Amino acid sequence: MRIRALAATSVLALTIMAPQAMAEVKFGALYPFSGPLALLGEESARGLEIAVDEINAAGGVQGEQVVLARGDAVDPNQAIGEARRLISLENVKAVFGTYSSSRSMAASQVAELSGIPYFELGAVADDITERGFTYVYRTNPTADSMAKLIVKMLVDKVAPALGKEPGDLRIGIIHEDSNYGTSVAGHQEDYGEEAGLNIVSVQGYPASIVDMSSIVLSLKEANVDVVLQTSYQNDSVLFLQQANEAGLKPAAIVGGGGGYSMMPTAEAVGTDLIEGVLDADFTQYAVNTDFTPGLEDFVAAYRDKYGSDPRSGHSLNNYVGAMAILQALDEADGLDPDAILKAVNAIDIENGTTAAGYGIKFGDGNQNERAFMMGMQWQGGKLVTVYPDDAAVAEMAITQ
Amino acid sequence: MDTFLQVLVNGIMLGGLFTIVAIGLTLIFGIVKVINFAHGEFLMVGMYLAYLLTVGLGVHPYVTVVALAPALFVLGALAQRFIIQPLLAARDEHVQIFATVGLSTALINLALMVFGADIVNTPSSGLRTPLEIGPVRVLIGQICILVTAVVAVIGLQLFLGRTNTGRAIRAVAQNRTAAQLMGINANRMHILTFGIGTACVGVAAALVAPLYPTSPNIGTYFVLTAFVVVVLGGLGSIPGALLGAMVIGVVDAMSGFYIGSDLREAVVFGMFLVILILRPSGLLGSRSTLSHVSP
Repeated sequence: MRIRALAATSVLALTIMAPQAMAEVKFGALYPFSGPLALLGEESARGLEIAVDEINAAGGVQGEQVVLARGDAVDPNQAIGEARRLISLENVKAVFGTYSSSRSMAASQVAELSGIPYFELGAVADDITERGFTYVYRTNPTADSMAKLIVKMLVDKVAPALGKEPGDLRIGIIHEDSNYGTSVAGHQEDYGEEAGLNIVSVQGYPASIVDMSSIVLSLKEANVDVVLQTSYQNDSVLFLQQANEAGLKPAAIVGGGGGYSMMPTAEAVGTDLIEGVLDADFTQYAVNTDFTPGLEDFVAAYRDKYGSDPRSGHSLNNYVGAMAILQALDEADGLDPDAILKAVNAIDIENGTTAAGYGIKFGDGNQNERAFMMGMQWQGGKLVTVYPDDAAVAEMAITQ
Repeated sequence: MDTFLQVLVNGIMLGGLFTIVAIGLTLIFGIVKVINFAHGEFLMVGMYLAYLLTVGLGVHPYVTVVALAPALFVLGALAQRFIIQPLLAARDEHVQIFATVGLSTALINLALMVFGADIVNTPSSGLRTPLEIGPVRVLIGQICILVTAVVAVIGLQLFLGRTNTGRAIRAVAQNRTAAQLMGINANRMHILTFGIGTACVGVAAALVAPLYPTSPNIGTYFVLTAFVVVVLGGLGSIPGALLGAMVIGVVDAMSGFYIGSDLREAVVFGMFLVILILRPSGLLGSRSTLSHVSP
């Protein structure tokens, strides 16, 4: 009797839930929507939202409309809590996120344990795809890609422009000493040695540094031609200003994303001082659109939906990753985790065919092995793409 | 030799910067004996005010000190009166520490909400121009900081030593109960001292803002060093703060250049520990009580 009653209620419950479940499919959008990272967290999420709009307008995923359940990853702890909520209460089929590496590291563990696919579209820490997880994929380039691009740019462009062999360039590496700066600098050393560069100094410092004069002096004593800095805003500003004031004038300064990609940094040091400074980062908007088909449409969709130009490249890169995944899911056979994995493992998108330029194919550790960063330069107060040549909109200007 | 001189001068300039930031803390930590973790955030608030006034009114950043010192005085006095003082009666006086941590976090997040996480820049108005003195280069703004720091140290020392109010403040610091028995209003003295301490932060903010980009977290960059300076110099000793800041600044610059940037903090804090073990009361400190409840 009791079993029958239970069965009856279950059937009832299923019939109540069924129509809704048939009509739409739910995915998690896990980003820091509040707290100190809210601005770029929100910007990243907008890329995902535009991808969802585009997919829904084209008929959805396997005929079902996609809806996003938001999770607010204010800090790594809350990222875990929100990932649990999305997976067990909202019953999402997969989670997209996260912009911040520390939050991604934490939340993706929950997804892995639950056997729910987790798609990282924007966090750069190498470790995220080095843990041997089955359900965690990443579409965007990493700290490793950043260092690789910077070294290639030195060898291909900077050394020839200075009329030197790469091995004759004296290179100083400075970096803030958290995970971000340390891992990029570590890869710069490795790739640099591989390419036969002459690295004369590697120095870490805390991001909260208030005086970099001793670092500047030691670089000056070491007579460096090129300075590579991986840094946040404050220390980028401090270095550029103090180097200028101490008369340290390397032929090239190359920043690793972070502070070097941001307009307030340029405003802080002045457009004269930042002119010619190089930078490696995600694909930005001042890029050759022949290499990034769909970029203009993305910007137009963004303007329509949010009423302003994109505030950074984060939305673009999230959009490209999300589009590739969602299009693959449309081809999948059902939306259970195994079917999702099978579909995304089959993704094979060539370079130069997405709005961010890089193609998508998952390799070791489910990292997108085609993802790469681009080389940019501050020219006339703007950050323009100068490397690789296919994507460049301006010549790299290096004066001896 | 030229390089050594340049490193030494850099260290002294850094010492000047640490002095101007720490001098207010000496009063608050050394005399009111409140461990004020919001000290750095008062500096942050001051720097944002300096930015708003400089940009809004188009004045030289140094002019803003006219508004900053009184504004920060009021802010500090209010914090002491309405946050710290009610907690003096709490059974455990460490509650105040957590109250100041709470104030600090609240101010940081308020700034994040109002100004966002990006840096803002007070115009440097020529203060970043390097001066070449012999073989060394310094910024005009750095010299101004150093001079103001020394003047402030002398001024505060005279105020505490020569005026009645200053004597009353020191009396409360030495023995609160005895001071009250002598007819000194201890609560008022604490409010006054806290206010003067934060007014010093206001002066520091006007000097620091044109040289360093302002962000909601800027206070946390300075606050740890400020505590170290105060403890190293000797609690409540104003000249001690100057000496402590100079030692930290020069050791910081020297170790950063000669030993390596990675080990800079290890050297600075290692030296700090050694000095404290050898001289527990700090370089210029006399033995003093850390408790509100006098012995």
